[in-house]
Amino acid sequence: MGSDPGTSPPPSRLTWLGVAAWASVALAAIPVLFVAREADPALGGQLQRVFYLHVPAAWIAYLAFGIVFLASIAYLRTSARRWDLIAHSAAEVGVVFCTLVLVTGPIWARPVWGTWWQWDARLTSTLLLWLTYVGYLLLRSLATDPARVGRMAAVVGVIGFLDVPIVHFSVFWWRTQHPQGPSVVDPTRASGLGAPELTAFFASLVAFTLLFAWLLALRVRVGRLEDEVESRSLVGAPSERVPALR
Amino acid sequence: MAEAGPARAEAGFWAKTAALVGKDLRLEARGLETLAPMVVFCVAVALLLAFSLPDPVRPGRGALAEVIAGFLWVTVLFAGLIGFARTLESERRDGALDSLLLAPLDRSGLFVAKAAANLVGVAAVEAVLVPLFWLLFDLRLGASWAALAGVALLVDVGFVALGTLLSALAAQTRSRELLLPVLALPALVPVFVAAVELSADLFAGRGFDALAASGWFGVLLAFDVVACAVGALTFEYALE
Repeated sequence: MGSDPGTSPPPSRLTWLGVAAWASVALAAIPVLFVAREADPALGGQLQRVFYLHVPAAWIAYLAFGIVFLASIAYLRTSARRWDLIAHSAAEVGVVFCTLVLVTGPIWARPVWGTWWQWDARLTSTLLLWLTYVGYLLLRSLATDPARVGRMAAVVGVIGFLDVPIVHFSVFWWRTQHPQGPSVVDPTRASGLGAPELTAFFASLVAFTLLFAWLLALRVRVGRLEDEVESRSLVGAPSERVPALR
Repeated sequence: MAEAGPARAEAGFWAKTAALVGKDLRLEARGLETLAPMVVFCVAVALLLAFSLPDPVRPGRGALAEVIAGFLWVTVLFAGLIGFARTLESERRDGALDSLLLAPLDRSGLFVAKAAANLVGVAAVEAVLVPLFWLLFDLRLGASWAALAGVALLVDVGFVALGTLLSALAAQTRSRELLLPVLALPALVPVFVAAVELSADLFAGRGFDALAASGWFGVLLAFDVVACAVGALTFEYALE
């Protein structure tokens, strides 16, 4: 987008990935908006379509944080800058998708549950996941020694992910062990997904996955360019560098 | 906003003050080094408090028991985190971190040493706090003192292990005291929920058998094992 079409080299694989991602987003919008049938009014009616955004985003967030975990371990073992860059990029993109989950959920919940938020197990553990990786990004942006930030962040990347199952389990137990308690309606079962709905869901999932892959690759590339700029010391004082979080 | 050049040397008291305020606000707006962790910290605390809300659909246990248990453990957690932030403070202040690293001891030994020192601190806080709660909130623990001590020990091990590791990381950032709770509170949620649930049962007069049957000990044990293992294995990366 930013490059000059007159002088730029032929489109790279990254460009094609971006084109494919956005094309699949446009394609997925058709079944999501028109093919999937309108849900039961008790489940939000037309508003239930937010489900096709909400659930794929949640899956992608889990995928992203899984990548952070694996790349963090790889970085601690090999000290190869590449893994650190992948972990950092996946965390950033994962937080974006996790934010999307936390924003779309209440939009649906307000008319259906009558409240924006419930201290239900799944909501609580998603908020915790978000907090964990926002903390990871804060650590990266606030570290005093840029040379060591990768190792420090990798430690948090490992703890964060190992903690996820325990967090999930404990929070689940805390509230969802009582069937009569407030719990998220399982959308797949409750809305009776048929073939049209499943088509919309998987189209959306494919689109989100491609979008994620493109954003991740783009972010890694930006990181590489930042490294290159730094190594050629084209940037003046360290304070002029934009903190990683912003 | 306004460029305060040398020509403005005669500016009055308020103008100078405003310039200083503006400087601080600009600095913060550029880096968000205090504000961003503060906001995330508030979210983490709000979330923690949610775990001490009585469950609206679970009768039988006094709502008060759960809230008091929540108060107790929030207090322990905050006090602990304030203490952990000082874990490596003396070494840093005296420039002794390098000598500490040179000690002929495996880094995991260093971790155990630091964590053990923090454990003593947390246990001391609890030794003061529980009698205080007994006085203030009319706790009737009866024979459950030993059970509460056991719960506290299991909670403390995981809490201290994770807190020590994360404090070593947070100490190397620009907003140390602020970043430790931001990192630690979300990670500590399993410990916190288990602690609140178990001690609320005790405060409500349930016996040890009911506690053991509830399975929260399993959560505590799993967390303790993971926290100690990760701490011992990664402390060197956090320090070096």
